[in-house]
Amino acid sequence: MLEIKNLQASINKKTILKGVNLTIKRGELHAIMGPNGSGKSTLANVLSGKNGYEISGEVNYRGKSLNNISVDERAQKGIFLAFQYPLEIPGVNTNNFLKTSLNSIRKSKGEEELDTLAFLKLVKEKSSELGIDEKILSRQLNVGFSGGEKKKNEILQMKILDPNLSILDETDSGLDIDALKIIAKGVNSSRNNEKSFLVITHYQRLLDHIKPDFVHVLSDGKIIKTGCGELAEELEKTGYKKLNKHNAEF
Amino acid sequence: MQNFEIKSTQIDKIKKITTKEKSFRIKNLEFFKTTGFPNKRLEDWKFSDFKDIVDKNFKELDIKKVSSNIKKIDLLRDFEHNYILLLNGNLHSSNFDHEDKNKITLNPYDKSIDYKISKNPLVCLNHALAENGYSLEIDKGYKFNKVLVIYNLFTKDIKNKILNNKNKIKINEKSELHIIEYTINESKSKFINNVYESIILEKNSKLKSLFIQNNKSDGFFYKFLKNKLSLNSEYLNLIFSSGLKFNKLDIECDLVEENSRCNILSALFLKENEHQEIKTLINHLAPNCKSNQKVKNVLSSNSKGVYQGKIYVKDIAQKTDAYQLSKALLLDDNTEFNSKPELEIYADDVKCSHGSTSGNIDHDSLHYLMTRGLNREDSTKLLIKGFLSDVIEFIKNSKIKKFVESMFEKQINEH
Amino acid sequence: MKQQRLEKREEYKYGFTTDIESIKAPKGLNEDIIKFISKIKKEPKWMLDWRLRAFYRLKNIKEPNWQKPKYPKINYQDLYYYSAPKSIKDKPKSLDEVDPKLLETYVKLGISLKEQEKLSGVAVDAIFDSVSVATTFKDKLTEKGIIFCSVSEAIQKHPELVKKYLGSVIPITDHYFATLNSAVFTDGSFVYIPEGVRCPMELSTYFRINASKTGQFERTLIIADKDSYVSYLEGCTAPMRDENQLHAANVELIALDNAEIKYSTVQNWYPGDKDGKGGIYNFVTKRGACRGKNSKISWTQVETGSAITWKYPSCILQGDNSIGEFYSIAITNNYQKADTGTKMIHLGKNTKSKIISKGISAGNADNTYRGLVDINKKALNSRNYTQCDSLLMGNKCGAHTVPYIKNKNFSSIVEHEATTSKINEEQLYYCNQRGLNQEEAVGLIVNGFCKEVLQQLPMEFAVEAQKLVGISLEGSVG
Repeated sequence: MLEIKNLQASINKKTILKGVNLTIKRGELHAIMGPNGSGKSTLANVLSGKNGYEISGEVNYRGKSLNNISVDERAQKGIFLAFQYPLEIPGVNTNNFLKTSLNSIRKSKGEEELDTLAFLKLVKEKSSELGIDEKILSRQLNVGFSGGEKKKNEILQMKILDPNLSILDETDSGLDIDALKIIAKGVNSSRNNEKSFLVITHYQRLLDHIKPDFVHVLSDGKIIKTGCGELAEELEKTGYKKLNKHNAEF
Repeated sequence: MQNFEIKSTQIDKIKKITTKEKSFRIKNLEFFKTTGFPNKRLEDWKFSDFKDIVDKNFKELDIKKVSSNIKKIDLLRDFEHNYILLLNGNLHSSNFDHEDKNKITLNPYDKSIDYKISKNPLVCLNHALAENGYSLEIDKGYKFNKVLVIYNLFTKDIKNKILNNKNKIKINEKSELHIIEYTINESKSKFINNVYESIILEKNSKLKSLFIQNNKSDGFFYKFLKNKLSLNSEYLNLIFSSGLKFNKLDIECDLVEENSRCNILSALFLKENEHQEIKTLINHLAPNCKSNQKVKNVLSSNSKGVYQGKIYVKDIAQKTDAYQLSKALLLDDNTEFNSKPELEIYADDVKCSHGSTSGNIDHDSLHYLMTRGLNREDSTKLLIKGFLSDVIEFIKNSKIKKFVESMFEKQINEH
Repeated sequence: MKQQRLEKREEYKYGFTTDIESIKAPKGLNEDIIKFISKIKKEPKWMLDWRLRAFYRLKNIKEPNWQKPKYPKINYQDLYYYSAPKSIKDKPKSLDEVDPKLLETYVKLGISLKEQEKLSGVAVDAIFDSVSVATTFKDKLTEKGIIFCSVSEAIQKHPELVKKYLGSVIPITDHYFATLNSAVFTDGSFVYIPEGVRCPMELSTYFRINASKTGQFERTLIIADKDSYVSYLEGCTAPMRDENQLHAANVELIALDNAEIKYSTVQNWYPGDKDGKGGIYNFVTKRGACRGKNSKISWTQVETGSAITWKYPSCILQGDNSIGEFYSIAITNNYQKADTGTKMIHLGKNTKSKIISKGISAGNADNTYRGLVDINKKALNSRNYTQCDSLLMGNKCGAHTVPYIKNKNFSSIVEHEATTSKINEEQLYYCNQRGLNQEEAVGLIVNGFCKEVLQQLPMEFAVEAQKLVGISLEGSVG
């Protein structure tokens, strides 16, 4: 699904990603953890195609290079990013936004666009599956939403847009246990042999609910360690510093 | 008005000027003669028809010089200060005992002329005739120990006179000066004071100035203030000029280099046929500059308040932060408040907003105070004070703040 | 010329002309032309006299020049003031009698009269150049006593009403373009809603400037008698032309006691090409008089066309408790210039006005909001709330806000707010990541910015307006 080879990324002359290597196969869920400033969000932004970064290295999605593919084209190809800080867009109705977005993606795939009735039916279905109150969608996009509501909204969008590769950027930060369960449910119910996930998280507890196939530690722009679920537990106990010290020697 | 005639030979009387200057003066005089005093057909004077005001109040006007004498003035005792004494606009004397006099240059008149043509008739009149005023320059890296009070004294013998004065203040790099322009009016009759003042703030310098009157005046005041702010400089102007029969303060502030900041605040209580206008033009010509304007007016008994505030943002002036607020309280019938808060913006990454409200005293607040035992008059006074007080909060020196508060108290109580 | 047109057709759906021969008066503006216009329309003498009074006055006044957009000098002698399709010389008695070529034009415009008749129940008074072609639904409206016809027809059939109200809100003594209109107006809509009647359908009319160099001078007069209600829609399209065309219309609204008039406009005049060449000059005078107590007039407009727009729909709030509202979206792109706004004149007691103006500038365009809120001395207890917001896209365009506030009454409350902002890069990124391309994302965000105004439009217009907002901003995001 996703192949990253020696990815470097800099912004404002500062190099943040210093050679990331990562392969995610179809059906896999990878978790990335790391201390603040390690480049986790940058990785998410670069994968989504955000402007402003100087990039070198290879990023291949489903066998094809993502070079020069714009953000919206990547989205239409099935890459979804759940933002760490979802933005408010005043005056724009959330339902309306979702419908426009879904139909844009469907159109690019050659699928028929949904009319309002069919769309609302889909929304009702997905939101009740997750346990999210659909009334939230009648409000302006993210305006006045609490942190938890914003994150849930992101996951709902993910369910509706049904991407192939979902990147979740610290979706669990600032959530209470109930919201966390909803997020986990959303992710777990989408998991199958075809879909892949890249979950970026700061804390281990999300991974209690979402079992990753692989866990990577990103530190100072590079992946310094890869392991399974146990790695996350170990980190929780020992912290990142030790890991770094361990790898500083060579 | 019939009796106001200025002959071009008036300019001949001005001594020691170059030919270039003389022709500049004559040109300006000719312009004034064709336009006359500004009237409401000129967009900038729409709400203050100066020609009409002059016609209604003056049967005659002349520009003959006044040579007045004063024995002594009563200096303010509320706080220690330096001073400059202006006699009908002319530099009379000064005292900088609290400062290092080597850092200060004070001259009666700035000979350097900016030969720019103006379309403002009063400015042209000033360019044509002004020969007096003061020019103050502060050397690099000097911060004043005490505030500077400019006593602006108007004497008894200036009836029907039109006084033209030119002032200049230059604050060099890294220096700081606080001024209180304190007008003392001894004239019982009407006169016109037409002032052109230019302020230059060099890099990293600061100027804070405060306008306030001692007592009521039947004078008609117009001041055109041209400011130029360089890198990192800061300008604060607090206007408490209530009590003048007519006052128009016309400020044009150029934020020429980055990080300069301009703050203009006023709190006025206008009564009995008084007419005051504050007009500002803030030109954001460089990025990252900030401007803040707050104009508050309380109007009663046939008074008229005007605020024309224009914010201009050039296309390169990104990250401009410009804010403007004007609020007016109309206390009774026959008062009028006109406002024109204008925005002209060519840069897109800016924060610009303005607001303007006008209305009466909030009845609910009045009622609340009265239920706490205050009578209507006292409640009204309290609300007016509250309305105007946030401007006073900008004064950091406690003694000066107290002084201004007491003057304010006087103004409000005379209502 | 033709090849260029083929390419441009995608951009501007309505860019085409009809081949029907038009009757044109000879070029120029003089007394004879005015007499010609009056004669060909078979007007009574009092109408000709009124026109001539306006014409004589024209000679003594000058074109105004205080507005910001400057336009190249108009040679009034070089325009045709009357142009009508030949086939309409004798008025058709029913739709069937209308020239099929004309009907074809309307189909292209998307307002097939027959279709509208079936689906929406909207009565359409279609104006083709200077003469009304067909008026539908007259029967249904006649049942209720509602008069909806062309001004020309009203002059013949309802002279008492026309005499009473024409020129009562925009007098002959008004400014230059209004007076020009009074002298040479060719046609427009006339609406009269009798006492107690609520007009059961949205009234609408389409305009179109066709023949080269024909400035269009419509005159609309809407009268809502006591306790009545009417909602009127105005939508315009124009073909592509290289010479600038003048559009100086007059719209007068009169609302009597307890009456309400809702006037909506979606303006889509040809804006000039990407380099600012060609395009319509839109100088319109619109004024509403809330004569009666408790009366209400609201103006809603979406302006996206015209090379130069200059209009200030106003409300004169005479009747006590009357309400005036103004909702506007003004979009300028490329080299367009707009100087628009409103005037709310408070004369009666307890009058209220509300102004919501959204200005969007892109490209090298210039967008000015000019408003006047005038609270008269006797306007006790009046309230005004104004909100003007500007959205700038790029740094070659400009937004200018010039509000005049005059408050002469101490018991009144005036509130004014204005903000300027730009489209947030982060917001665009968020939309992109949800599969929306730049144009779609900008369209969505801008529609959100204008939401308050769009909500005021009648349903069918709201959809057209939203699309228009998107199209007008094409090419503005780099």
